[in-house]
Amino acid sequence: MTARDLLLQIAQVLTVLLLSPLIQGIIVQFEERVQRSQGPGIFQPYRDLWKLFHKQIVIPETASWLFWITPVVGFTCMLTVPILIPVLTNYPLPLSDMGDILGGGFILTLGSFLIILAGLDTSSAYGGIGSSRAVMLSILAEPTLILVFVGITLLAKSMLPFVVNHLLVASWPTYWAPAHLFLVAAFFILLLVETDRMPIHSSTHIEVYMIEEARILEYSGPLLALLKWASAMKQFILYTIFCNVLVLPWGLSVAGTAIGALGAAVALIVKFVLVACVVVFVETAQSRLRFYRYQEPLAASFLLAVLAIVGTQLS
Amino acid sequence: MLIQHLNPLASSLFSLLAIVSLLLSFVMLGSRWLNNYLYAFAAESWVIAALSAAVGYYGNYPELYLIAILTVLFRGVLLPYLLWRIVRRLEVSREIDVGLQPSSSLVIGALFVMFALAVSYRVATVFHLELSVAVLALTVMLSMKLIGFLMLAVRHEAISQILALLVLENGIFLGSQILVPGMPLLIEMVILFDLLIVVACFGVLVNYLVTHVGTTSTLALKRLTG
Repeated sequence: MTARDLLLQIAQVLTVLLLSPLIQGIIVQFEERVQRSQGPGIFQPYRDLWKLFHKQIVIPETASWLFWITPVVGFTCMLTVPILIPVLTNYPLPLSDMGDILGGGFILTLGSFLIILAGLDTSSAYGGIGSSRAVMLSILAEPTLILVFVGITLLAKSMLPFVVNHLLVASWPTYWAPAHLFLVAAFFILLLVETDRMPIHSSTHIEVYMIEEARILEYSGPLLALLKWASAMKQFILYTIFCNVLVLPWGLSVAGTAIGALGAAVALIVKFVLVACVVVFVETAQSRLRFYRYQEPLAASFLLAVLAIVGTQLS
Repeated sequence: MLIQHLNPLASSLFSLLAIVSLLLSFVMLGSRWLNNYLYAFAAESWVIAALSAAVGYYGNYPELYLIAILTVLFRGVLLPYLLWRIVRRLEVSREIDVGLQPSSSLVIGALFVMFALAVSYRVATVFHLELSVAVLALTVMLSMKLIGFLMLAVRHEAISQILALLVLENGIFLGSQILVPGMPLLIEMVILFDLLIVVACFGVLVNYLVTHVGTTSTLALKRLTG
């Protein structure tokens, strides 16, 4: 373990920590621009976080200790996952062996699980509704996620994200194989589900059909800021997995020099802007569905994952 | 046989076209609108025509070009146009009461694909077709047939049922193009005219339904009265 690898590992976590509000801001700004309005500017999430950290905390009387630890645990989970995945370098760093893709998936799910519990904890009506909706979605999304992981494993004969990245960079036939393309499509739908950009999610956040926002409605001040930051980081992490492992595996630091890491960070932002354009296009072009049609995109995603696995069996 | 000695580019092209047509039949399975069925069916026919042209090119079967042109003309243009005329005359533009929700039928379709894969592995080992493109062609053929049967079973509109029949037939045609590309030209033409007759019969059926029963749903055909 060299000092440089350690520094790079810290830099990976810092990249996710510091750039995640920027990506959130870019997506929101693009969306506003597509709808022909001015938009708050791409740095608005930073200002929001700054404002929230300077407010006082108001706690509901019904809240227990769970309400307090949820933001901390959620935030810590999102700080743990960037250690495991290729954010800046395309080779494993010292602590990357702690877990594979499945392990990273578990840690991400732990964060959402605690937020669901906290939504139920305050026994407010909205928290309960939000938690039950979120559980319904994740029950349907989870099998697909597992199938996508199985497909990746069958494709690359390994569950480590670095191996998948190297395989896709090395071989064009694998990149254009139907199995890989189906995996990309299935994961893209999951990405929309997990970052609340499905057709069933509304663009204005506080309303009757809200899902994610309902769970954290009782939070205020720095605790809310931690949760919002954690959700921005979750989005960043999922985008990173989508880009660096599945779709655009190029542009990562190979040697691990400072310039390379910086270039990888810039390349990451460029890739994210590309993905954000696609996400904004889907969200604008697709008309909003009522909540009870949530199964259809998830069924399509399940189908694509199954086709991907069939594809891996045939190549 | 052609598939015994294919170059890698050709076999990946065949796989891509076969998988795209499978995906289009899933579009038909997952949608509620009759127009979407129609467009997906037309696109599927064009893909299959491209497939037979590709097989003709790589396997030196000049008559397959003719079959490709006939496929485009009949399955890609004429049949969708006739069906589109029927759809336009009706007031229904979507399935009202489906036996199975589109999302559930997508999941069942996915299970069918897995079943088809298992069966085609067995078939391929029995007939010594170890090549992946042969197994893929068998899988796509079987799963398109199963999807066609599923659509026949769960959809009630007369138009959906005829499109289900046509998907079923498209699946067989696709499989035969890859597995036995030298099939006589005459048989293909007979099949195409059969399809025309099928569509004409269904046109008559739809007319009968509209004038005598007042609906286009085959659910109304439950009573056997003289």
